[in-house]
Amino acid sequence: MEPPKIWREKRQRYLALGISCKKCGKRSFPLSEYCPYCGTNDVEEYRLAETGKILYFTNVSMASNEMAFNAPYCLGIIELNDGIKVTGQIIDCDYKDLKNGMEVKMVFRILARDGHEGLIKYGFKFTSI
Amino acid sequence: MRMNGKNVFVIGTGLTKFGEFYDRDSTSLATEALNAAINDAKIDRSSIKSAYFGFMISNSSPHSAFSSKCLRECNVSIPFTRVEAGNASGAAAFHQAYISLASGIHDCVAVIGSEKLSDFVKNGTIEKILGSTIDYQWEYEIGATLTSLYAMITKAHMREFHTTMEQLASVPVKNHKNGKENPHAQFRREIPLDRFLSAKRISDPIGRFDLATHCDGSSALILVSEDYLERNNGIKNKIPILSSEHSSDVLTLHHRESLTEFKSTVTAAKKAFTKVGIEPTDIAVAEVHDSFPISEILAIEDLGFFEKGEGGKATEAGLTQLNSKISVNPSGGLKARGDPFGATGIAQIVEIVEQLRGRADKRQVSEVEYGLTHNIMGTGALAYVNIFGQEEMEQ
Amino acid sequence: MNKVGIVSYGSYIPKYRISVEEIAHIWGEDATELKNQLQVPKKSVLGLDEDVVTMAVESARNAVNLWDGDPKLIGAIYVGSESHPYAVKPTATIVSEALPTGKEIMAADLEFACKAGTAGMQMCFGLVKSDMINYGLAIGSDDSQAKPSDPLEYTAAAGSAAILIGREGIIAELEGTYSVTSDTPDFWRREGATYPSHGQRFTGKPAYFQHSIDATKGMMNQLQTNPSDYDYVVFHQPNTKFPLSVAKMLGFTKEQVELSLVCRHIGNTYSASSMLGLNRILEKASSGERILMTSYGSGAGSDSFSFMVTDKIEELQAYPFDIEYYIKRTIDINYGLYTRYKGLLK
Repeated sequence: MEPPKIWREKRQRYLALGISCKKCGKRSFPLSEYCPYCGTNDVEEYRLAETGKILYFTNVSMASNEMAFNAPYCLGIIELNDGIKVTGQIIDCDYKDLKNGMEVKMVFRILARDGHEGLIKYGFKFTSI
Repeated sequence: MRMNGKNVFVIGTGLTKFGEFYDRDSTSLATEALNAAINDAKIDRSSIKSAYFGFMISNSSPHSAFSSKCLRECNVSIPFTRVEAGNASGAAAFHQAYISLASGIHDCVAVIGSEKLSDFVKNGTIEKILGSTIDYQWEYEIGATLTSLYAMITKAHMREFHTTMEQLASVPVKNHKNGKENPHAQFRREIPLDRFLSAKRISDPIGRFDLATHCDGSSALILVSEDYLERNNGIKNKIPILSSEHSSDVLTLHHRESLTEFKSTVTAAKKAFTKVGIEPTDIAVAEVHDSFPISEILAIEDLGFFEKGEGGKATEAGLTQLNSKISVNPSGGLKARGDPFGATGIAQIVEIVEQLRGRADKRQVSEVEYGLTHNIMGTGALAYVNIFGQEEMEQ
Repeated sequence: MNKVGIVSYGSYIPKYRISVEEIAHIWGEDATELKNQLQVPKKSVLGLDEDVVTMAVESARNAVNLWDGDPKLIGAIYVGSESHPYAVKPTATIVSEALPTGKEIMAADLEFACKAGTAGMQMCFGLVKSDMINYGLAIGSDDSQAKPSDPLEYTAAAGSAAILIGREGIIAELEGTYSVTSDTPDFWRREGATYPSHGQRFTGKPAYFQHSIDATKGMMNQLQTNPSDYDYVVFHQPNTKFPLSVAKMLGFTKEQVELSLVCRHIGNTYSASSMLGLNRILEKASSGERILMTSYGSGAGSDSFSFMVTDKIEELQAYPFDIEYYIKRTIDINYGLYTRYKGLLK
């Protein structure tokens, strides 16, 4: 977990930022300098909707090193209320209680810890309302 | 009919056994495979003009060192290129080698796929390595693993097409049955259906035994163009590469409209079949990317062997077994042969070439006219499809 | 003089709970007796991916969302805690970026045991009143630590409260604030030590009670008010018994203090404790009602505040993520899971 990368990505991870294209009007995630739909760079930052519903989900028991502290955890593809889809952990829940279409809300959580002495990476996750 | 470029042929294959070789390094494995391919091609090693190495991580030593060392130990002093396309690095290296021959830049090249994954014994390391085959920032760093993404793909297929756990498990059951007859396979034993069904779910519905194992191994090929054959009479057992195609899809799963179709595979397959002028039904034997049970089901659907949604039923009905409707993964696939990422794409080609040469012994498919290989990166961001034919075939 | 007061408030309590029975069972203690003594049947426990920063952000976002103003107008953020995840690297910077406020903002992490959050409130009141900022955000957030088997283990909980202070849109106007401070070694944690130590019964009379009483009396004396002038009173809640006792000593009724006792449901949230009590009152109070709040921080000191609720309060009382919401959403865990969640397994 390198400090410049954590720093560069922090706003996107904390605020769940995408873009809204001033030319074609489409929205997209993640943040980009150009619109992936029409190619213009006339785009502005857009903060994703904070609530949505679960489209697909599973649980992760074999996680990467930095995320093993939290395993097993649930993970899903969420369709936010603005139509944008993102991948995210679904936390504070039991896997067996999750259902497709379940309503979730974005929360601020720890994504990864770099051991006991390194940095802590924060970002968005989801929880049932 | 010649569509574009020069005709290209495989004239030599080499393969190490796949498995866990704690006492050997990448150089040792790659050297064994390349030497075997050179010997199989029965050519003077000074004919080889360039080498393409396909690997993702190689081993725990720095990357470029092993390619140099391998060439030195094989006594060839030639330029080399490292090609990386995640767990499809082998097929990617092959494709680049093919281009170099089809374009006429070279007339004889070596392709080497190698990976030594048994070095990475610490928990979570392989998950991190595979994290670079998916969207590292917005999937992996969010908490997704390649397995968890395939778990969601599996669920989507189950939901859309009523694919069952038994149908899914029949993929590795069949591949382990095939792998039993492959001397290069990591696992040479059959595993009953129950074992897959009762195993702990690591990412529901994917069980602990459903994954292809990440192991060690090397594979190599000697490829030549028609120019080389014109100047060197008497080259035997040459297998023509009828098409080598490469397609992509958006990297991130949440950007895709459908989770149950890999567009990259569909597109690469269409291009490949169009170029050769044949239909999927003309393929007798195929080596497809079966990293998870759902991977093979998606592959046989997206390649056009079966209708979308029918892959699970077809597999359970035995239509993909050896010498059935189409023999899929006679080698045992990634599942039973083992999956040393970069070595896999080339090992698939080795298997198809051996099948076309009629040298596949107990796993030989009868009456093979055309064979196909299919290798993908991650969740199908890249797909490589190659079609091979019989030696005498008009191109 | 300029008016200054609370313009919004937000709370956060993690979902996990452990009961007194679960803990008492491990140490062979009598759960019934402990529950009678402490009047805390269960306490909140932090999730594996939560810390003081994540709780602070959640409570701050709740305060800003309820307020519905532009967070860029916030000129200061102070986060009080005794369990900041970094010894060096301020929690306040992360909270600021996660709201997000503008970059031109004063920020600092504060430590004064359980009253660091109210110290932040006083700083914000001062800055707003002196026209140095328009809005200030004071947060108390703690993942309280207690040595296993220590009596504190039954109550040391987790939670966060955020109070937005300003001069426009005041829902509870500050009438006065009064503090007392003395060098009293009732509870401490040395640098690098995992768990706090404390002086057992010494934490009561000369510490919690003396400071809470002195500050409250001082405040009422300053404003010439009496306990009967207040509709609600809030004290620091190390357990449920202490605030009830100190209220009685000062001449407040049980009814005046009852609503504030969030501790009854989730335990002692240290820096967030008295602030969560205040938030619970703000969720229910009506225009014209008066609130007295006195925090206590070991070491030791107390900050007392007097608030007059304004007619703006009603606009800021319908919010889905209030304390009731967080109290109701629970997952009970056993001591085995608790040791994992608290990082006791090395």
